[in-house]
Amino acid sequence: MSKALELAERALQAAQGDEVEAVVQTERSGIARFARSEVHQPTLIENEVVQLRIVRDGAVGTAAGNRIDEEGLRGVAARAGEAAANAPPDPDFPGLAAPAEYPKVEGFDEETAALGADDQARLAAVAISAAGDFELYGLYTSGVSEVAIASSTGVRASQAMTDVSVLALAAVDGASGYAERAGWAAGSVDPVAAAEESIAKAERTRGAQELQPRTYRAVLEPYALGELLQLFAYETFSGLSLLEERSYAAGRLGEQVFDEKVSINDDPLDPHGLPKAFDFEGTPKRRVALVENGVLRGAVWDRASAARAGGQESTGHAPPAALRRWGPLPFAVSMAGGDAASTDELVKVVADGIYVTRLHYLSSVHPREGVITGMTRDGTFRIRDGKIAEPLVNLRFTISVPEMLSDIPALARESALVNQSAFYDERYPYGALVPALATASFAVTGTGAAPGI
Amino acid sequence: MQELCQRAVDAAVGAGASYADARVVTRRAQWIATRNGQVDGIEDQESAGVGVRVLVGGAWGFACDRRMTDEGARDTALRACAFARAAPGGHDRMLVPVEPSRGGYAPKVEQDPFSVSVADKIDLCLRAEAGMRHEDVHVTAAAVRALREHRFFVSSEGAAMEQELVECGGGIDAMAARDGVSQIRSYPSAHGGSSAQAGWEYVERLGLDREAPRVGEQAAALLRAERCPAGTTTVVIDAEQMQLQVHESVGHPTELDRVYGSEAAYAGTSFLKPGDLGSLRYGSEHMNITADPTTEGGLGTFGFDDEGVPAEREPIVEQGILRGFLSSRESAAQLGAGRGGSMRADGWTRMPLVRMTNLHLEPGQGTLEDLIAAVDEGVYLETNKSWSIDDKRLNFQFGTQIAWEIKGGELGRMLRDATYTGVTPLFWGSMDAVAGADEWRMQGLTNCGKGQPGQHAHVSHGASPARFRNVQIGVGA
Repeated sequence: MSKALELAERALQAAQGDEVEAVVQTERSGIARFARSEVHQPTLIENEVVQLRIVRDGAVGTAAGNRIDEEGLRGVAARAGEAAANAPPDPDFPGLAAPAEYPKVEGFDEETAALGADDQARLAAVAISAAGDFELYGLYTSGVSEVAIASSTGVRASQAMTDVSVLALAAVDGASGYAERAGWAAGSVDPVAAAEESIAKAERTRGAQELQPRTYRAVLEPYALGELLQLFAYETFSGLSLLEERSYAAGRLGEQVFDEKVSINDDPLDPHGLPKAFDFEGTPKRRVALVENGVLRGAVWDRASAARAGGQESTGHAPPAALRRWGPLPFAVSMAGGDAASTDELVKVVADGIYVTRLHYLSSVHPREGVITGMTRDGTFRIRDGKIAEPLVNLRFTISVPEMLSDIPALARESALVNQSAFYDERYPYGALVPALATASFAVTGTGAAPGI
Repeated sequence: MQELCQRAVDAAVGAGASYADARVVTRRAQWIATRNGQVDGIEDQESAGVGVRVLVGGAWGFACDRRMTDEGARDTALRACAFARAAPGGHDRMLVPVEPSRGGYAPKVEQDPFSVSVADKIDLCLRAEAGMRHEDVHVTAAAVRALREHRFFVSSEGAAMEQELVECGGGIDAMAARDGVSQIRSYPSAHGGSSAQAGWEYVERLGLDREAPRVGEQAAALLRAERCPAGTTTVVIDAEQMQLQVHESVGHPTELDRVYGSEAAYAGTSFLKPGDLGSLRYGSEHMNITADPTTEGGLGTFGFDDEGVPAEREPIVEQGILRGFLSSRESAAQLGAGRGGSMRADGWTRMPLVRMTNLHLEPGQGTLEDLIAAVDEGVYLETNKSWSIDDKRLNFQFGTQIAWEIKGGELGRMLRDATYTGVTPLFWGSMDAVAGADEWRMQGLTNCGKGQPGQHAHVSHGASPARFRNVQIGVGA
């Protein structure tokens, strides 16, 4: 039994209720964050957090703490119990999860788990030293985190995960390029490759030109598409947003709304992503089809939203405690690739349009219509005659994602894992597995500054 | 706890740190929410630990640990030193000199928010929800929150302080849907309501149940409202959206760490340069922005920041001219101006960053009605719905939950899905009036994100409604 599961068992024993669930999250991580080619914010974190959910007479209360001695656990239990005692019964509460068989997943690498501060600093330095004339901004991080669940209904689950990310922004005045690599094994995450890619991109961005706002054909790299799809998926494929008619998918399930080349899953079992075996209620993870050949197929559910919907069951998408108020969330968005051998081929298909490397500060303008705004950055180019042409200033876009996905001339064959965690709260690594994409519709609504620092 | 901090600092200095500070933070955060007449969540989180920051050979190191023992504090200090040694920099890091302070701080609290029972909090939420019910309102939601944080700080320069922060707040939302249109209305602010450093009396004064019927009715009415047209026109913006406008287009770009590129890879940089201080025209002569960590009730209020620098009110923009940056001791030394004072960390697990203290748009003259009366044709915008701004904080686009047409100096029909966009200095330059002190409102937000690993900051902004000419509105897909 892992230490985290042992702690969950101890927490379970400290609490009393009709039903009790203990969730433990542990983290040991290091982030070597750098700017101007120097590590400036190195952070080492070690923490263990216990959350107890107690059900009494149909009322539910939760509490959490990081004091894990007996007195500390009793304190968490007392606060959760007090919350339940003061709450009215919840007639919709579906009860805690029953024990289940969990899928065997990848996602843990001994070598990565063994990385320490020296290694994180060294690997950051490896990226920095590849930057040449450019200054490098970004980070190298690795961590080992564990989620363990024990409940009075018999759930016993634990999963240790490793994750690694290197983010590289090569920048000087008037030029910048971005690249990243993410995975669960350090051996597959090459800091030099990320740095070199960012530099190659940055070198092409000098002398950026303005662009007339209008709708363009476009190529989106995985970095851009991953972030866009993640936000769209949060708002569109959460069972709660579907129930509450906030989602674009509300009333449209079963309809062909996207290009038939578009298939999107939430696939937490894929070893190319950041695999998960169960969610934060102890429900087994599974692959959920969200879009099949352009047809809206489904959403992700946790136990509460599934019970409210009726006729649904949890798909294993209860989020961590810090995000539970948002309802079930897709944390393993995966888009099927196409036939294009490279982004160059996508550029050729687009012929006349724009090329987008990375996005910045997305915001949902009209969630019901799937309208999202944001900016491009660190590698935006004009496409002319099937080739990447002059660099462009950062562009403001305001797009209907459904419209963008309704005409997809081509998708790249290979997908890339794009980190989607900004490492807030307790570490819970997740990412989007997406290809580069060519679209016939990408609405540019304004222009911003030139690339660069 | 200060002894524990002192042991960590001593261990760091003993291991070769030229500077060290240690923070012990204990935090309790409670969040209670109801949705559609049922309890949606009752959360009560406690967290405690020690964070140690060191300078070794000109390189920073930071480590943290939940063990609040002598051994834990010492180990944390040594790990921070080891990380700094492993990632040496190429230059010395100077800190602007600050007289080491010793002292304490606690906000004025009439009623401890944790003394109010969970049952009473749930009852308030349910009453407010009931007031929002309407046949077209599909979702009603209410939430209240409370936080107590003790911070102990010791530095190797001899600073030592203990601070207590108490926060509480709340908010309500009504979501209406019909015929494929979905609309939301919130009070007192979108995205989680508003909070203050105060006791429960703040939540009671918000009057969540009092405002609920209006919120529900407006959400329903928005379903039948016309979409805000596109064009270039005069806009009058309410105090709440102005607070966000200040936050995004003045607060973040004046953070000196962004100016120097520390956030380049993630949150972004700034269109401002160090040499702009004292000369750059940020906006019109009506624009006066103040950073004030002494504002009573502000979420960005403290006695000392997380470098031990005493709180002080400072001008950021005066009559449209850039007069100050938000800084740390290191970035102030780099600039050769300022004293730091804006370093804040999200709990004990994060390294302090330059964060906003309370940042206010100072009031002008007259009333909201006066602002509207001087508009022949335009729109009045209220309550944020969407927000986005580029990495240099120049090109922004905001959406509001509700708007009204202005015709002949009076409010006309209600409009939905309003958006406006602009470029920061041009936009602020187009501001021709700010309403007076009677219209000035301060609200606190708890979701400001920055840093890697990510940190949430809590900060308040005060503003009066303001008027802007020649603004692009109605940006569509």
